[in-house]
Amino acid sequence: MNTTALTRLTILIRRELWESPVAFKWTPAIIGGFILVLIVLALIIGAKVDNQMIFAIDGLRMYATMDDSQQRLISSGALFSIGALFHQIMFLVVIFYLAGCLYDDRRDRSILYWKSLPVSDTITVGSKILTACVAAPLTFLAGIVVTQLLLLIIASGYGLAAGINVFTEIWMPANLPRIWLLTLYGSLVQSLWLLPIYAWLMFCSSWAPRLPILMAVLVPVVIGMFQHFWSFFSNFQLPEHNLLWMLLLRIGQGVLPSSVEWQQIVDESQNSGSTYRPSDEMLMSFQSVNGYLMNWEMWAGIAIGLVLLAAAVWFRRRATDS
Amino acid sequence: MKPTIHAEQLTRRYGSNVALDHVDVSIPSGRIVGVIGPNGAGKTTALKAILGLTRFEGTLEVLGLDPSKDRDELMQDVCFIADVAVLPRWAKVWQIIELTEKLHPRFSREQCMKYLARTKIRQSAKVRTLSKGMVVQLHLALVMAIDAKLLVLDEPTLGLDILFRKQFYSSLLNEYFDEQRTILITTHQVEEVEHILTDLIFIKDGKFIVNSAMDEIYERYTELMVAPDAIDDARRLGPIHERVLFGRHILLFDNADIDALQTLGEIHKPNIADLFVALMGEKESTEEAA
Repeated sequence: MNTTALTRLTILIRRELWESPVAFKWTPAIIGGFILVLIVLALIIGAKVDNQMIFAIDGLRMYATMDDSQQRLISSGALFSIGALFHQIMFLVVIFYLAGCLYDDRRDRSILYWKSLPVSDTITVGSKILTACVAAPLTFLAGIVVTQLLLLIIASGYGLAAGINVFTEIWMPANLPRIWLLTLYGSLVQSLWLLPIYAWLMFCSSWAPRLPILMAVLVPVVIGMFQHFWSFFSNFQLPEHNLLWMLLLRIGQGVLPSSVEWQQIVDESQNSGSTYRPSDEMLMSFQSVNGYLMNWEMWAGIAIGLVLLAAAVWFRRRATDS
Repeated sequence: MKPTIHAEQLTRRYGSNVALDHVDVSIPSGRIVGVIGPNGAGKTTALKAILGLTRFEGTLEVLGLDPSKDRDELMQDVCFIADVAVLPRWAKVWQIIELTEKLHPRFSREQCMKYLARTKIRQSAKVRTLSKGMVVQLHLALVMAIDAKLLVLDEPTLGLDILFRKQFYSSLLNEYFDEQRTILITTHQVEEVEHILTDLIFIKDGKFIVNSAMDEIYERYTELMVAPDAIDDARRLGPIHERVLFGRHILLFDNADIDALQTLGEIHKPNIADLFVALMGEKESTEEAA
């Protein structure tokens, strides 16, 4: 890719962020604010119930006496669940963004302006899928980073009151750089995992005469139901491969910071018997994320996604205001 | 030199409706061409084909490129305003300028600012909050700041006040236009553009019924304000159109004998609006005018 294509892609992605500030800027800010407000409220109510904050301080002192791996498990569990909340909402935001991204400018006729610029339809479509797959995870990561920092700062305040070593007992086990890097890596792999679904939404957005989101949902639902009934009435059994079920599994089996490696836990607890103790390795790790890239289902999905994106480019080339 | 636009047997059908009917046209550079036609005649379809916004049959080359295949490459040298304001409503003025600057290699921010300085548009304003006329002003400022070889304007001055319209056409002619460029304009306000046009195209039912230089048109068509007593003589010469103004009969002739006409009354250059009515008008409209 030459530099002009790269500059164009960059400004086109900025354009997407300008167009949808609520989705990409305000949503992560609001989620972060919501989490903080909840926690501050809980602390205020806690302070009312328990005047000297004995309970919180005792809890922190107990936490300080645990060994490192337990501390890591608790802190990364808490930090990852914050990330998971952000990512689940991001998924919803991206669904609506993608369903509208090739439709809104056809509806309001501004497509005539975009098509007056020397930008190929491939770059246009590319900038939108990159916004969903890369830019959105980055702006949501910013929200995650700020929220996690503020939470650790609040926890440190309590930690100081409890007289524990805040640095070694709170900040060290949290290992924020690892959490952030892992969250980012996981969300990018998640984008690839969901690419067929993202591309399907964009494909619907490129041709639907109206309500692309409804089209995108209705088509698989109708096909899935049809498969279901067809198989049931012709063979008296449920279908082996049902499109709707496959889609739901795809969404459910994605990479989330809160994903727990159940299989790994089962294996390890069988191997080590009663001595097994859960550690933060059962949460998302670089290894577990890498596992997704080794999976043939990942690559089949990417192939389907690319075909759908090519189809979206084809429709975009023919699209005008009417 | 290759013509800016060259079309052979250009055709576009929408179902059974023929919007462009085997049109042949060749427009060299350094022209300002007015494309005039009634609603639904095929003007917008013709422009859309030239801009790569619609499919077509036949051959069409714009600046040596096929617009249906190479729209993005073509847009390096072509800019257009299609119909009324279509700028994205969510955008702020500075964002649109930034986008156009980054995406268009021939855009000059300096020029754009110069044109914008003549308006009341603020950089921080959202397009949504601008009036219709201001959006058009903004779009014109963007387009005129692009050093393009072909400028296509579809109803560029819709919704603008007279002052700005005059100013726009004068800067289009004096500051923007030169021998290297071609400008294609469609408008219903014919009187405003006729003095800047070098060429004229009339479209009717998907066909180009007139396609010639303004000089040729003035040579070919003559308007005669008939002396009251000479009306029957004048009618015998076969006018293509007749109208009455303040009790004077005004007849339009195609390829008439000027000397013969001069004996019957005053001779004028026809204006395009009258020519348009004469050539396009159905029987009823001529009667209404009479």
